Amino acid sequence: MSSVALPPFWSLVEVHGDELLVHARRMTGDANGEDVLQDALLRALRAYPRLRHAEHLRAWLYRVTTTTALDHIRSRRREVLTDEPPAAVAEPEHYDDAFESIIGALPDGTKDALRLRFVEDLEYECIAARLGCSTVAARQRVSTAIRTLRTQGIAA
Amino acid sequence: MTLSARLLDSIASAAIREGLADAVYTRLDTPIGKLLIVQGERGVVRVGFPDESVDALLAQVAGRLGPRIVASDRELATTRDVVSAYFDGVDERLDLPVDLSLVRSDFRRSALSLLRAEVGPGEVVTYGGLAAKVGRPKAARAVGSACATNPVPIIVPCHRVLPGGGGVGSYGGGPELKRLLLAHEGATVG
Repeated sequence: MSSVALPPFWSLVEVHGDELLVHARRMTGDANGEDVLQDALLRALRAYPRLRHAEHLRAWLYRVTTTTALDHIRSRRREVLTDEPPAAVAEPEHYDDAFESIIGALPDGTKDALRLRFVEDLEYECIAARLGCSTVAARQRVSTAIRTLRTQGIAA
Repeated sequence: MTLSARLLDSIASAAIREGLADAVYTRLDTPIGKLLIVQGERGVVRVGFPDESVDALLAQVAGRLGPRIVASDRELATTRDVVSAYFDGVDERLDLPVDLSLVRSDFRRSALSLLRAEVGPGEVVTYGGLAAKVGRPKAARAVGSACATNPVPIIVPCHRVLPGGGGVGSYGGGPELKRLLLAHEGATVG
């Protein structure tokens, strides 16, 4: 059992489930959003007792959902195009590394925006303040970054 | 929350199938209000009255069984049916596996186990009488604490334990509820 007092998992699903589904749909399309969310939440459950702290759980769920969505996009692409065997799925405890490697190729400014949103769990007002831009611009930067990720996933 | 019930059910069932859930909970409409029922691998671990905080009860279970707690009416269908059968008066035995791991001492655990095994629907026992059954005839007060902290009320029938001096005594869900449950079971209270 975990040494930190983690909230019951389902309370996270109740509070953040809706926005995670929106995020999954935005990355993988309306038809796949629910499958991706289910997969992401099961991955999150596997890793949950091993979390070392109970902070920024929402951002953590976003990262797991992002990683799962990209795996989904890549495996779909592979099914269509090649016979190559699927790459090993990241072990749950390495989701943070997986997230960093996913965003690694993006320009620095874009990476910063994604980290502020999905690692530091900041609202757009705070992201705007950190990036020195307007809230609208911050929102745009994150959404452009997600679009870039999605296209990269498809192109990978 | 607007995630579809179908998706939530599907996620919870997959989690249980893969052995990823430390506990599963459901909320059941009954004549006494919405009960919370939490079940672990070994049986029902917690029952919460309608006026108790669901978050607090689930946090208590998480502290003991682990934080991977999911909700599913479907996975707990059998448990729901058995509890509904009790309130409908169809079958009052509440024959369900129970996990007393939230009980803090061995004495309390044996008192509650014995109560469940030996005092059936329609029957009552005094605090002192139950203490004697456990082999500690002077421990009526300790039996009272065991009942007051019973994590699985109704299924472990602490409402059937009464003060020796008459009346229904106290109850976690309130004395009115205790009286109601006893009347439902057809027990005579002095």
